[in-house]
Amino acid sequence: MKQAAMATSLSLSCSSPLLTRNTLFFTKTFSFSRSFSLSPPLSTKTLISQSPPRRTFAVRAESQNGVDPTGHYDFDLFTIGAGSGGVRASRFAANFGANAAICELPFSTISSDTTGGVGGTCVIRGCVPKKLLVYASKFSHEFEESNGFGWRYDSEPKHDWSSLIANKNAELQRLTGIYKNILKNSNVKLIEGRGKIVDPHTVDVDGKLYTAKHILVSVGGRPFIPDIPGKEYAIDSDAALDLPSKPEKIAIVGGGYIALEFAGIFNGLKSDVHVFIRQKQVLRGFDEEIRDFVAENMALRGIEFHTEESPVAITKAADGSLSLKTSKGTVDGFSHIMFATGRKPNTKNLGLESVGVKIAKDGSIEVDEYSQTSVPSIWAIGDATNRINLTPVALMEGVALTKTLFQNEPTKPDYRAVPAAVFSQPPIGGVGFTEEQAVEQDGDVDIYTANFRPLKATLSGLPDRVFMKLIVSAKTNEVLGLHMCGDDAPEIVQGFAVAIKAGLTKADFDATVGIHPTAAEEFVTMRTPTRKIRKSLDSQGKPDSEAKAVAGT
Amino acid sequence: MARKMLKDGEPDLNKGAEEGTNFDFDLFIIGAGSGGVRAARFSSNHGAKVAICELPFHPISSETIGGVGGTCVIRGCVPKKILVYGASYGGDLEDARNFGWELSENIDFNWKKLLQKKTDEINRLNGIYKRLLSNAGVKLFEGEGKIAGPHEVEVTQLDGTKLSYSAKHILIATGSRAQRPNIPGQELGITSDEALSLEEFPKRVVILGGGYIAVEFASIWRGMGANVNLVFRKELPLRGFDDEMRAVVARNLEGRGINLHPRTNLTQLIKTEDGIKVTTDHGEELIADVVLFATGRAPNSKRLNLEKAGVEVDKTGAIVVNEYSCTNIPSIWAVGDVTNRMNLTPVALMEASHFANTVFGGKTQKPDYRDIPYAVFSIPPLSVVGLSEEEAVEQTNGDLLVFTSTFNPMKNTISGRQEKTVMKIVVDAQTDKVLGASMCGPDAPEIVQGIAIALKCGATKAQFDSTVGIHPSAAEEFVTMRSVTRRVTGSAKPKTNL
Repeated sequence: MKQAAMATSLSLSCSSPLLTRNTLFFTKTFSFSRSFSLSPPLSTKTLISQSPPRRTFAVRAESQNGVDPTGHYDFDLFTIGAGSGGVRASRFAANFGANAAICELPFSTISSDTTGGVGGTCVIRGCVPKKLLVYASKFSHEFEESNGFGWRYDSEPKHDWSSLIANKNAELQRLTGIYKNILKNSNVKLIEGRGKIVDPHTVDVDGKLYTAKHILVSVGGRPFIPDIPGKEYAIDSDAALDLPSKPEKIAIVGGGYIALEFAGIFNGLKSDVHVFIRQKQVLRGFDEEIRDFVAENMALRGIEFHTEESPVAITKAADGSLSLKTSKGTVDGFSHIMFATGRKPNTKNLGLESVGVKIAKDGSIEVDEYSQTSVPSIWAIGDATNRINLTPVALMEGVALTKTLFQNEPTKPDYRAVPAAVFSQPPIGGVGFTEEQAVEQDGDVDIYTANFRPLKATLSGLPDRVFMKLIVSAKTNEVLGLHMCGDDAPEIVQGFAVAIKAGLTKADFDATVGIHPTAAEEFVTMRTPTRKIRKSLDSQGKPDSEAKAVAGT
Repeated sequence: MARKMLKDGEPDLNKGAEEGTNFDFDLFIIGAGSGGVRAARFSSNHGAKVAICELPFHPISSETIGGVGGTCVIRGCVPKKILVYGASYGGDLEDARNFGWELSENIDFNWKKLLQKKTDEINRLNGIYKRLLSNAGVKLFEGEGKIAGPHEVEVTQLDGTKLSYSAKHILIATGSRAQRPNIPGQELGITSDEALSLEEFPKRVVILGGGYIAVEFASIWRGMGANVNLVFRKELPLRGFDDEMRAVVARNLEGRGINLHPRTNLTQLIKTEDGIKVTTDHGEELIADVVLFATGRAPNSKRLNLEKAGVEVDKTGAIVVNEYSCTNIPSIWAVGDVTNRMNLTPVALMEASHFANTVFGGKTQKPDYRDIPYAVFSIPPLSVVGLSEEEAVEQTNGDLLVFTSTFNPMKNTISGRQEKTVMKIVVDAQTDKVLGASMCGPDAPEIVQGIAIALKCGATKAQFDSTVGIHPSAAEEFVTMRSVTRRVTGSAKPKTNL
């Protein structure tokens, strides 16, 4: 595999650092029409030819790089994009003794072709601000709960959106500062500007050229809004995290985790929330029972779901309110319409195609198991590669890459049993296979579920419930998957992820003593399978006797 | 029943029971708490004919008061956790402000309302436990049970009438009760039983004791707005826990406004017009509405007639049992707090299940006390599994690697709360095995449960490291501790900041 990749790149790496449209066409013909959707914007914007060759030469003369016949480069690793993956990789590279540089766009809470910020999506417009808003919005539920525990307020608690956003932004500024310091303290050279690859060993940052033995592309992804009439009135998650005022009535289009998290946030802050999903269920790809459970519980908290409705157009009324026309009808009176309809890798206008880096149809950079692109000196990690788009996965990929490159220890990231959470309200945590995946891959599985009213809810009187699920291989007794929806699910699942990653069995779970009274103890006290799924008829006889043994009662 | 040859120490289930004897029951259990109910249900499911007796229900226990559900349900884990929930809103309200919430000046906490709801919930659970027993076909007697012989139980019913039943096996699961110190005026103080059922909310509290019960009540009352003084004999609360974590808990309690009085004891309590005047051995005087003694619990073994039946009891009053929970009388067994092994509900459940499996399930099983996780529901809580650093130093000869992480939880970055979460992992440097894990911070008990499975199965630090984090969570810190905080060699004393 690696050798093949190298061979391809040899023919490509001879392309000159001075790019012309010819090279673009060259790659276009080479990439099995994958770049079909990508090349039109590239050629119309002609960003690549924007940096004048004169300037390039001037810089070159100054820094004496690239053409150095001794094979010396300015840097061992040049990283484009200082988000989770990029910062991790450059820090670790520097710690391993490499001379590392990283470039990043100027800071802004809204991302674009020209704005970004050290810390990346996670810190500036993803995990962190999202979780801060989740914390803020959860209080309203806690106030309600507290009534059941004897707390009374003279007047209903009111929420001031602008003070939350101000405090949130102050925290983001602090964090981006911390990330800059982390880079500085690790001796990683930080360059502000837009990085573009000009040849397999050269990156152009706003006209300045830097050569590097290895180039890492970790430019992440960005929200994507489909092209429908009136899309200019819609906001994406970047904007939703930094609105000047709180939405009174918001339509959220999409059924993925981002849609559900924002639905929870705005619902908690007492906006009128409508979620429009194309399918019957939310959270495609998640365990079916979890999908049903979370939607049911969110609806109980006041979110209105419009299922099997696709957005068609947005119109703005004279009073400024927005209407969403869908495949089923029109809903009026929205102050905001948010699209959470997916994210796209930020791979445009990076010079990737022109140096021969293969790009997939979805815009993601194609990489092998070591995160190497089709050009051997160019590597890519994180959302730009669209593998599993999670911060800790980008971190894992970053660490693995630096071990491969600078520790002489070729390391593949291990994508087995990666736990994940959705910070909806109630939240979801899960690790390993869904029931559907387990049945498909393992055939014979035992399913253990618990659906209960937690102690807190019996006192608060609120209709909150918790759902838990274990998926166990009938053949090996190994726990293949664990899922939960309910309070603290993300915190609870982390420890179990260690157990599942280590390949532990249901017997190991049973041998563990519970912590009482917690919700988590339920995972080690599930005695009787809720159902047994058998693919082969052969094994169908056995289970019943096994069932009694498992039940142990 | 034909049996294979007994292994060393394995219980002989037929010893003592004359062949062909007809008993009223296969199993008679005294005490319907966590252990007793579990043993009754599981034994019954194994086909045994089971009876259980329990004292009449009341929130405050005595020689003649108890209730189906036992300490855990009526005056322990459950009501305690309810009050902890209630108290934690106090901190939440403070935290909410910087998240943009404008709260009215007057926020009122109604203790009576919470108490009423707590009592309703306890009554509901008491009913559920009774149903669990009847659904399992277990015969429930209300009254005080005593051992009348190796196969004989006498139950004194509420009206004074006495019933006598024979049983092939007798299980004692009578639990334990809070103790009071022997100081002048001790009758003015209360124990945790009464503390869970106080008529009036105490605005000024003095708590004597440094164990988990003392710490939990300090957090409960402080969270509801009381002025709390916590008096304990040692330098730090929570003796037996990891020293470093004890210091964290002490710091957090102080941070939440609890007045700590380390190396202090109480000498006397005097009733005054203004409240109870409490004097310490340092000569300090405190005025309190309520003085709580959280100075330990003693097994409920006194009125069982054990001496006459010849059942061995240790100095603390705990029933002496072997690894299978069998007393020195082969037909008499004991589980739970009355045996004073590890006084936790899930441990009593484990002992009871293993008892039922051993005696009636044809599966000889010893409870395994390794790597049992547990929690202190202070605010914020502490949870641990495996060895403390001190225990690890003692029990292993090899090197230890200690990983600690002290961080500001994300919520606090906005709320402004000055309280760090601390996590700690103790690793055997030779084998890479994780010997102990502890955490003090929000959600610690929920987080540690999963970690406990990994420890129980001998997971290595490398396996922790290979697990991907859940971001952003506090728990992910457990799988992202990269640099060793310190290395401790077998002989050296652990270097903590104590």
